Amino acid sequence: MRIQTLLLLFCLVLPQLSSAAGPPKSQDSPQGVSSINPGADLWREVRQRDGEILEGISQVKSVDSGFLINARGDEWARFRITKLSSYGGIAIAAIFVIVTLLYVVRGKIPIEGGLSGRMVRRFTDYERIVHWTLAIVFLFLAITGLILLLGKSLLLPILGKEVFSLFASASKEGHNLFGPLFLVSLIMMFLSFARRNIYENGDLTWLLKGGGLIGKGHVSGGFFNMGEKTWYWMVILIGFVIAISGLILVSPFFGQGRWIMELSHVVHTIGALILMTVSVGHMYLGSIGSEGALEGMKSGYVDINWADAHHDRWGKVCHDENLIVSAEDYARLQGRKPGDTGELATEQGK
Amino acid sequence: MARMKFYCDAERCIECNACVTACKNENDIPWGVNRRRVVTIKDGEQGERSLSVACMHCSDAPCAAVCPVDCFYTTGDGIVLHDKDICIGCGYCFYACPFGAPQFPKDAAFASRGKMDKCTFCAGGPEEDNSSDEFKKYGRNRISEGKLPLCAEMCSTKALLAGDADVISDIYRKRIVNRGGSAFNWGVSSNIKG
Repeated sequence: MRIQTLLLLFCLVLPQLSSAAGPPKSQDSPQGVSSINPGADLWREVRQRDGEILEGISQVKSVDSGFLINARGDEWARFRITKLSSYGGIAIAAIFVIVTLLYVVRGKIPIEGGLSGRMVRRFTDYERIVHWTLAIVFLFLAITGLILLLGKSLLLPILGKEVFSLFASASKEGHNLFGPLFLVSLIMMFLSFARRNIYENGDLTWLLKGGGLIGKGHVSGGFFNMGEKTWYWMVILIGFVIAISGLILVSPFFGQGRWIMELSHVVHTIGALILMTVSVGHMYLGSIGSEGALEGMKSGYVDINWADAHHDRWGKVCHDENLIVSAEDYARLQGRKPGDTGELATEQGK
Repeated sequence: MARMKFYCDAERCIECNACVTACKNENDIPWGVNRRRVVTIKDGEQGERSLSVACMHCSDAPCAAVCPVDCFYTTGDGIVLHDKDICIGCGYCFYACPFGAPQFPKDAAFASRGKMDKCTFCAGGPEEDNSSDEFKKYGRNRISEGKLPLCAEMCSTKALLAGDADVISDIYRKRIVNRGGSAFNWGVSSNIKG
């Protein structure tokens, strides 16, 4: 009885022991004659089980045609399905929940002392065009990208294969066409905003106070505060990574192999998901989250009280250099007064 | 129901590439695409082996799993096919496939990708059997005529076998028995010693 139990145990442990020792390179026949198994070794190398990649040759000359088996492809597919799609979807959903909760709890952050009506110029027309070009291209790419990433699980069951295929096909073509435009507007964004986004003294204090979320009152800030600067550099750096990996994916004619494509795809998706997630926070703070903030990107002017509250160091410069435009002048600049044409307003706005 | 499979016998394949040519001709495959290819490992060295590969019609196909528009389907015979009307040409199946079976046609401007093309086990596509539409998109539908894929049918050394998995494995088992050599060679005979 005991021996039987021991035998059973041995049988249970044996396969684990042999698998732990790795696949045997050769096997001895029962007669004791050594017989190497060339087939096993060959196919093991082909399957890349030892990490070595055995590339053959083929008369069919195309990318990776010499590889019999690409074991990484399945790994990539699994990663895309189980990690990228699911966690990506959760991240996007989560940021919307967080933003909604923030709005419910904190509400719109008001300007202390209310709006004064006296405005100060924050962005030029060119800067606003750069911002909105990038923003629109980014949103378009984000939506079309998300359709390709999440559509199979969210849209396809509702729309059916035929209709969803139209959506996905249009998304893919649109994504490929507008992708290069993202790089162009990103370069424009870099050139026109980089200098003001260099970190300076006081940015660390902003970070330590959580940008004003911790404790009461506003944290001191320059033309851009530390959070805005960080968002800017995220857009620039991650944006360039996304753009480059996207160009690799969209132009398969440089002979790049599947491994490079898989890597590019993963980098592209993770980078895009990070930017998409943070962009929701940026959009929230730039619109309904903070009173008077959207005005700067709409008309180019912000209320001086808003400047004093959120960007006090820049506000001080505006006061010192007397850059403040009175409420009447601002109305005239915006072409609100009857008789003033919109064209004139833009001309004078320059 | 049958479970259709390809099997290539590495001991018999002589790298003649006739399967590649036959496939291209029979199915009128677009320029730049080869649904089947022969890969030679250790070319010119001891233990050189050649294998003909195409879509292996996986039971749990990675291409179908990764396809963002779910255009792949498995027929009752276990043949993995794709619907070119649904396919958006994203190329994910090409990255996911272990065998490099699905490929882009490369004829469009700016290397923009058309619908993916892959081996159909000579079973056409979702269109009406043997219609001109089906031929244009997927090639010949030999299965509907009771024939097996041409690549295997015309293989001169009968290295490439196609058909029901049970039948194929029976044929292969008999070969192993008759071929001789060490039973420990796992089906690959060799005179390499030491």
